[in-house]
Amino acid sequence: MSIALDAVTVRQGSFTLEQATLAVPDGAYGVVLGAAGSGKTTLLEAVAGIRGTAAGAVRIRGTEVTALSPEARGVGMVYQQSLLFPHLGVAANIAYGARSDAAVNDAVARTGTSALLGRGVTTLSGGEQQLVALARAIASEPHVLLLDEPFAALDPPRRAAMRRMTRALQRERGITVLHVTHDVNEAALLADTLAVLDGGRILQHGVATELFAHPATGRVAELLGAENVLSAIATTALDGSVVLSAGRLTIHAIAPEATVPDGSVHAVIGADEITLSRQAKESSARNSFGGRVTAISGSGALVRVELDVSGTPLVAVITSGAARELALAPGARVYLAFKATAVRIC
Amino acid sequence: MTDRATQRVATVVSGGAASLLLLFLAVPTLALVTRGGASGLHGLFADGELRSAIGLTVLAATASTLLAVALGTPLAWWLARRDFPGRSLIDALLDIPLLIPHPVAGIALLLVLSRDSPVGAALLAAGVRIVSTPLGIVAAMLFVSAPLYVSAAREAIARVDVRYEGVARTLGDTPWRALRRVTLPLARRGLLAGAVVSWARASSEFGAIVILAYHPRVASVLSYDRLTSYGLREALPVAAALVIVALVPLVLLRTLGRGQGPGSR
Repeated sequence: MSIALDAVTVRQGSFTLEQATLAVPDGAYGVVLGAAGSGKTTLLEAVAGIRGTAAGAVRIRGTEVTALSPEARGVGMVYQQSLLFPHLGVAANIAYGARSDAAVNDAVARTGTSALLGRGVTTLSGGEQQLVALARAIASEPHVLLLDEPFAALDPPRRAAMRRMTRALQRERGITVLHVTHDVNEAALLADTLAVLDGGRILQHGVATELFAHPATGRVAELLGAENVLSAIATTALDGSVVLSAGRLTIHAIAPEATVPDGSVHAVIGADEITLSRQAKESSARNSFGGRVTAISGSGALVRVELDVSGTPLVAVITSGAARELALAPGARVYLAFKATAVRIC
Repeated sequence: MTDRATQRVATVVSGGAASLLLLFLAVPTLALVTRGGASGLHGLFADGELRSAIGLTVLAATASTLLAVALGTPLAWWLARRDFPGRSLIDALLDIPLLIPHPVAGIALLLVLSRDSPVGAALLAAGVRIVSTPLGIVAAMLFVSAPLYVSAAREAIARVDVRYEGVARTLGDTPWRALRRVTLPLARRGLLAGAVVSWARASSEFGAIVILAYHPRVASVLSYDRLTSYGLREALPVAAALVIVALVPLVLLRTLGRGQGPGSR
């Protein structure tokens, strides 16, 4: 593993990052997803050595670096605010930690910052500042690149371009990246491995696609952007399927493995897995309910339809064309259906 | 009374109060420069005793400021960046020289540095005499002016985002190198301002110096000496020359400080 945290605890005033454990393989793009105040920056600074740890071990490329100073760890760090040194120009910022001119030239070429070299950093736009901060970090030829919400302050086109460039850089240079973000779409787009951080604790970590497919808990599912996370009581039916009681709803599901115990679970239903109709229909979908539209939002190709289904709030995402054809409006009576296989149990 | 009338009265009252204070501060200084300025300037060239007193004042204040910067900057960094036991004690210690009357500061220094004290005796045995020497003047100036520098420097360093140091460390800097390459350049305006205030305070010191080192005479002691020995007429040129000399570096350094803000390359 290129980056490994083993039960790392960091105390910072009244906040504690508790027993954080995660691993990012060599050359992979790791993402830590968490809301503001969940401890993302603290975690990253603990990896960088900027912040001391109270317990646990940090390993970089297999070597324990917990007691090493930041300059001995071989990491590069980019903050959301770029933190370019304001008393130095762009060229001096990029060259700050570089060991050779070749490294500077390579970083400048990869980030496309050659036109900015003669500028003062206070004259740069937000996007340009982040490019220069990235160039400065990679010019020091780090083994590991630590990114603290580096694209959060950028406009959508610039953000998309920066994501593409960072991913390409990581692949071409084989750098291991640990990127923290609150943006679940960014996590989905970039992550090879993913850790979900909440209130100073890592709730789940592993291969990103696995986490999105099988969130360990309802909270993880929520943090991963799931719209419909329902607390339910599970009982296993004779045919091996699972019956879930969620409020006044009875939901049929299929356990992916025979490991779902009877008792309290969370049912996660993808908002795009729910189909809507104005008439009750016969279909193979095992779950079919009547409900009422409470709100409709979105003006693009997709609309988000909020529903009240026997007192349980659910959300369906459908095309705006379908919403028009169904003449959906708040208060409209609808029928919704989803397959047993669309229900994930965690 | 209408809102507008109330506002007008408030403007007149506050403007009057501000003008009164400004006049109180400016008129004596202007009167001194107007009445004694010409003879003071002349004295700078013609009066050997005045020239040497001002030279000594400038040199001693500069030495005191350099010492305050050299010894005070690390202390300011510790106070700005680290939380440690006894920190509030150090804060109080730094406030003492600013709170006690300066002759009392002179007496305190005399207690420690005179030949009758263990420190003074040890220094004397090593061939270093403090009392009634330029070293004593520097010591008195340092005692009263260093806390001002430390306070300004601490504030200037605290204003520099600590994450800059963190970034510099990830780019290969040791703590000392990050301080030298990033923190100090970014704090330089505040440090410079602190040094200026410290220099101004040192060069204008009288109370502590007069106790610890009446001789050789610095300009403030000379002006007092002339006043008590020969009267106001003789003291005036010395006092005016001191004002002129104090103003020149102050204006120069403040202008320099203004031109070196963060963001320049």
